[in-house]
Amino acid sequence: MTRDIRYAEARALQGHRAGFASRVVADTIDLGVAWLLGLAALLAAGVVRYLLTGPPLRLPVLPNWLDAGAGGVVAVAYLSLSWAATGRSVGKQIAGLRVVDRAGRRLSLWRSFCRAVLYVLFPAGLLWVLASRRNASVQDLVVRTAVVYDWAYHGADEAPPTGDDRSSRPARSSTQA
Amino acid sequence: VEQDSERALVPLRSELVGTPRAPDGRIDLPLLVAAAFGLAVEAQRRSLDAAGAVAGRLGWPLRVLTRPAAALARGSVAAARHHLDLDGWAARGLAEQRRAQAVAVKAVRALIAELAAAVLDEIDLDEVVARVDVDRIIDRVDLNQIAARLDLDAIVGRVDLDAIVARVDLPGLTEQVIDEVDLGEIIRESSSTMASETVDALRVQGMRVDGLVSRIVDRILLRQGQRQTGPPVQELRP
Repeated sequence: MTRDIRYAEARALQGHRAGFASRVVADTIDLGVAWLLGLAALLAAGVVRYLLTGPPLRLPVLPNWLDAGAGGVVAVAYLSLSWAATGRSVGKQIAGLRVVDRAGRRLSLWRSFCRAVLYVLFPAGLLWVLASRRNASVQDLVVRTAVVYDWAYHGADEAPPTGDDRSSRPARSSTQA
Repeated sequence: VEQDSERALVPLRSELVGTPRAPDGRIDLPLLVAAAFGLAVEAQRRSLDAAGAVAGRLGWPLRVLTRPAAALARGSVAAARHHLDLDGWAARGLAEQRRAQAVAVKAVRALIAELAAAVLDEIDLDEVVARVDVDRIIDRVDLNQIAARLDLDAIVGRVDLDAIVARVDLPGLTEQVIDEVDLGEIIRESSSTMASETVDALRVQGMRVDGLVSRIVDRILLRQGQRQTGPPVQELRP
């Protein structure tokens, strides 16, 4: 399915580094998604406990340290896997953003994992986008990544962007395959 | 019919006293025969008269001899007229002619009827119809004129629409139409289009806010020039 972007200004900015507002929107949505994932995990644990030990059916109450740790693990797993897989989590998909490395390629799993850990540990690093001339967060500077506008929907059959294949760089992806 | 033929045998008085000629001017043959017969009788009578006159001049002895002969001849003529009944024979001839005419007409009519039936039996009407050029006939028919003469309102008024509607399988038709129209595909397409347009509108708003925020921050930081927000790929180009 091919879809042309109707907004000329949006077409011109495809592949360019995204600004603060878009990234805050995307990360807020991702925070909600991570929270929903954690809640779903808790619910699943409750159901399993109910099946094993019987009623009542209720969410397990974790100790604070475990609660925070489990939440962090869920968030890191979700973000790193989605960035490594397609370069975009749910929030970035909605906001039309994609995470790429300095060459415009899809992140490796290791780089993606590091970036996710840094974000979970130090979310305030996003604020550096405001000051950075290249719209880079602290995490972007450390892991050498960038977040670009990419409204295109890359199909499962499309090869992931690589540095060798210039035709698949984000700047060209104004239309989707 | 029986009575007519019987009457035809009886001579009418008008036929006896009427003109000897037929209405179309032709001479009636029986009358001619009868007249010829009468002419012969008259000629005989006159010849006898002439013979009597000659005998009178010859003197009484001859008169005595011829008188009985003349009387005999006269008597024979009278007797002939009386016994032969020429007028009656003429009338009988006319009647016979009329009867023959009637019989002939009757026979001809019966013959025509039989002939027509036989012809009709021989004709293959299907073949005849097949040879008819219906298109040419239709070309000559002014359908518009016929349509103008039709009272459509009256015709429609006589149609029982309820009965027609009752005979239509509306549920079946509806099912067929729904089967033909892929409603699910239409809904999917329209909803996905709507969703993508909404998302695009939100994204472009985000882009504008991004630019606005960047400019405000740059103004606050007294920064000169624009941010380097080009695609990452372009930075690596030599």
